[in-house]
This record gives sequence, structure tokens and C-alpha cells, in this order.
Amino acid sequence: MAYAFLLPAVLLLAVFTLVPFVQAVVLSFQQWDGVSTASPFVGLSNYKFVLHDTVFWSSMRNVLIFGVAGFVLGNALSLGMAIAVNRVRRGKAFFRTAFYLPGVFSVVVIGMMFSWLLAPNAGIVNRLLGGVGLSGLQHNWLEDPGTALPAVAAVFLWYHWGFGFILYLAGLQDVPVELYEAADLDGAGGWAKFRYVTWPDLLPVTAIVSLLTLLGALQVFGTVQVLTNGGPGDHTMVPTLRIYQEAFTNQRFGSAAAMSVIFGGALVLLAMLHLWLSRRRK
Amino acid sequence: MKGLASRGGLYGLLVLAAVGALFPMVWLLIGSLQTSSELYRGKDLLPAKPQWSNYVTAWTDGDLGTYLPNSMIYTVSAVVGILVVSSLAGYALARIEFRGKAAVTFALLAVMIIPAPASFIAQYKLMVMLGLTNSRLGYVLILISAGIPISALIMRGFFANLPKDLEEAAAIDGSSALNTFARVILPLARPGLIAVAVIQGLAVWNEYLLALVLFDDDTLMPVQRGLMNFVSAETPVQNILLAATAISVLPVVVFYVFAQRQVVQGISSGAVK
Repeated sequence: MAYAFLLPAVLLLAVFTLVPFVQAVVLSFQQWDGVSTASPFVGLSNYKFVLHDTVFWSSMRNVLIFGVAGFVLGNALSLGMAIAVNRVRRGKAFFRTAFYLPGVFSVVVIGMMFSWLLAPNAGIVNRLLGGVGLSGLQHNWLEDPGTALPAVAAVFLWYHWGFGFILYLAGLQDVPVELYEAADLDGAGGWAKFRYVTWPDLLPVTAIVSLLTLLGALQVFGTVQVLTNGGPGDHTMVPTLRIYQEAFTNQRFGSAAAMSVIFGGALVLLAMLHLWLSRRRK
Repeated sequence: MKGLASRGGLYGLLVLAAVGALFPMVWLLIGSLQTSSELYRGKDLLPAKPQWSNYVTAWTDGDLGTYLPNSMIYTVSAVVGILVVSSLAGYALARIEFRGKAAVTFALLAVMIIPAPASFIAQYKLMVMLGLTNSRLGYVLILISAGIPISALIMRGFFANLPKDLEEAAAIDGSSALNTFARVILPLARPGLIAVAVIQGLAVWNEYLLALVLFDDDTLMPVQRGLMNFVSAETPVQNILLAATAISVLPVVVFYVFAQRQVVQGISSGAVK
């Protein structure tokens, strides 16, 4: 009986998720142009090729910026704003709604929005800088090799911090009030209350938020593709975009699959390591 | 006195962050109503005269009359599919004893860890082999399968919290298992169904990577993919692009404003599992 209820889910997952996962490994030892029905085995040559693809490896380095930005800045921003919203009496619902709004946009909308805001001449960011007499700080943000990566990472942060914020806010509302009352009786100040009541109580939420934001940041694709398509040069190249280009622009699906295996494998290991660490702490 | 000042500071901070969150959208709307020359001159804050005709041009030139209905079709069919399949699975996992239950639950969690970058190339190859590229059915099936693991786990949580003796009572009344599920259990799990529908609805509407990979036929593209087509075509005019973007995001913003409570609930129930 139970099996009948499970059958549709198992069937769909097997065909569209599990088979491709295994297929990715197989494909990484094959050669395929994306069209033909033949995909001959080529041994390790895809991996050898990827090993020498400097763009792929620098994309791995670039994506760490996104990872660190999401993990450190994003987490801090989410938690800080959640604490702030949790503390006010009026306007809670408004602030919550406003802060998560960017989270419901698509990457394409984000891309259009920020190529307009960051445009070199008519963009509002440069206009504002000029308006307050800081025209020395004006940049062609998305096309200057020095600013492109930080600019895209900042957009990514703006796009995603609301997610952690929502989870932290829900977590804060679950912290028992008695704990704060007890801390008050002990004469604890604001920082002590945060350090000894809020922080320990939020640890499980922090663990899940940091895992999800970290994995999300490392998988960034659309935001980058729409804003810079990896440029200028390859200064904002990220692994998923590199995999996409290797397959669909260069027609080398085999080496794209090898990159998938390397990068995807690293992500899976990271997720398992994180889960293991946060479980052990409990 | 000190409390008052710090409260003021707190509100100042929050208002600042709200402006930061809302301004880019507002600025996009302002840009979408300007003339091209206003836009490139970049001196004015507001359009001298709102150019509503930009929206008409965007709608026709951007083929939004094709892409938006496509997105509606994909979103509705994928969400219905996800609800059916994942509530069946979640029900079995929460309320039926069977061999291999722990293994199935673990497998769902494991599948969730598989990241998109690891499998989208092979998924594309699979779809080519199955003849399911440039296919509405193919796109919907792959979207459903992507939504199943998390949704099944959310539904399992909601089913597990229902009273224990519901099935026995229904069985005494001669109701079949499937009938009991559909008539008795499912209506009680409505909050779960809504949470899943809202979150997956947003995810499907905004999906980009698979749409990019699977479609090159214009008439089948969802709006995210179609919009990118429009952006990279010929020499796009900025104000028209902004208007097209605004049109594409309007359904989502309206939906979010009305369903924000459910969205927030959905995010929380999805992440805690």
C-alpha cells in the first residue's frame, strides 16, 4: 500500500534526478557534442583537460568571494536585521515584507535592475556619487576588472539576505521570553543577553541558514550570467557558468561533465561536512 | 531618554534598510516610464510625462503575450504535479508502516543534497535522448521532480502532526485507503499544501537554468527565458527593456503582497526540516 503512494515520487526522482546524477559521472569519461547519439568513451582525457583549464580554476576562486560574502556578511546582515525587526513594536509586518521582496525576483529581473542602477553614465549609483561630489569614486562598475566581482557579489548579497533574515526572525520569536526575564533579574546587559540567551538558542537556525546561504552562493549562476556573463575577461566567472559555457558554447559536454563532477562533488562533501559538524556540536 | 534615542536609531536603521530593499524596484519603474532621451541624459529624477506607451511597445516587441501565458501554464501544472506527488509520498512516510521507510526518507534527504551544477549537463543529455527538449511536458516533468524532495518532507511533517486515529475511524466507516487520504487527511493538511504551493510556485515561475538549457523554440519559452532573448536581441532600448522587466515581475509582486504571510511560513517550514 505504502509503495503505491510512493511510486510516482520515486519514479520521477529516479528518472529525472538520480539517473542524471550517475549519468554525469559516466559522461565525464565520454565525448559528446550535444547533438549526436554517439558518445564514445575517452578515458581520463576530460579530467586532464579540465586540470589545465585555468578559467575553471579561477572561477572556483571567484566563487569563494560569493561564498564568503554570503556566509559572513549575509549571515551577519540577516541576523542583525532580524534582531532589529524583532525589537520594534510597530511596522514589523511592513519591514518583514519589504526585506524579503528582493527574494521573490528572478535572476533576470535582478540582472536588468542592476545593470540599470550600475550603468556607467545614466546609472543612479554614479549619479549619486557625482551629486555628492565624489565623482572620483565613479566606476564602470560591471566592466571595470577591479570592481566587477565585488559589484556582482554585492548584488548577490542584496538579493539573498532576506532569506536568512526570515529564518532568523522566526527563530527569534521562538526564544522563550522567560530566558530574557531571568537574564534581566541577573542584571544582564544587551550584549550579555545576546551572547548567553539569543545566540545559543539560535544555533540550530544559524547552522541551517549558513549551510543554505553558503551552498546557494557557491552555486550562483543566473545573477552572474545576466549581469556580466563572466566578464570582463573572466573576472566574474563562476563554476556553474563555466560548466554551462563549456557545454553549450564550446560543445564539449564531456569536459563540462568532468567539471560538474569535480565541483558538484566538492559541494556535496561540503554539505555533509557541515551537517556532521553541526550535529556533533549538539 | 536613552531608550527613546536608541529606539529612534533602530527605526532609522530599519527605514534605511527598507529603502535599500525597495529602491531598485522603484527606480526600475521610474526608468520604464521615461523617454529614451531622458534616460540617456540621466539628469532628471522623474519622467516629465510618464511614457505608458513604453509598456505597450514592451508587450508587443518583447512577445510577452507568448511568454507570460507559457509561464502560467508551467507554474500551474508543475505546482499541481508537485502537490499530488509529494503529498502522496509524504503521507506514506508519515502514517504508514512499511519496510524500507528509513531508507526512503534518507534517500529523499540525499537527493536534496545533489546540487544543480552537478547534474544539469546530464539532465540535458537525458532530455535529448528522450526527445524532451523544446517540450512543455519535458520541462514540467523535470520541474516536478526538482520540487519533490523538499515538498514531500514538508508534507510528511504536516501529516505526522495530525491525530493518530483518523484512518481507523475512516476504515470502520468502510472508506478505502486512497479515499481516506483524499477526503479525510488531505483537507486537514491544508496549511502544508498552501506552504508548498506558494514556495514552489515562486521557484517555478523564477526558474532560469533549465529553461535556458531546454528551450530554443521561442513559442515555448517561459518569461524568464523569453526576457533574456529580448535583452540579447538586436539593439534593445533600455526603457523598453525596463518596462518589459516590470511587466514580467508584476504577477510575482502582486502575489507576494497578498500571500506574504504564506510565503514566510513556507520558507520557514521548508528550511527547518
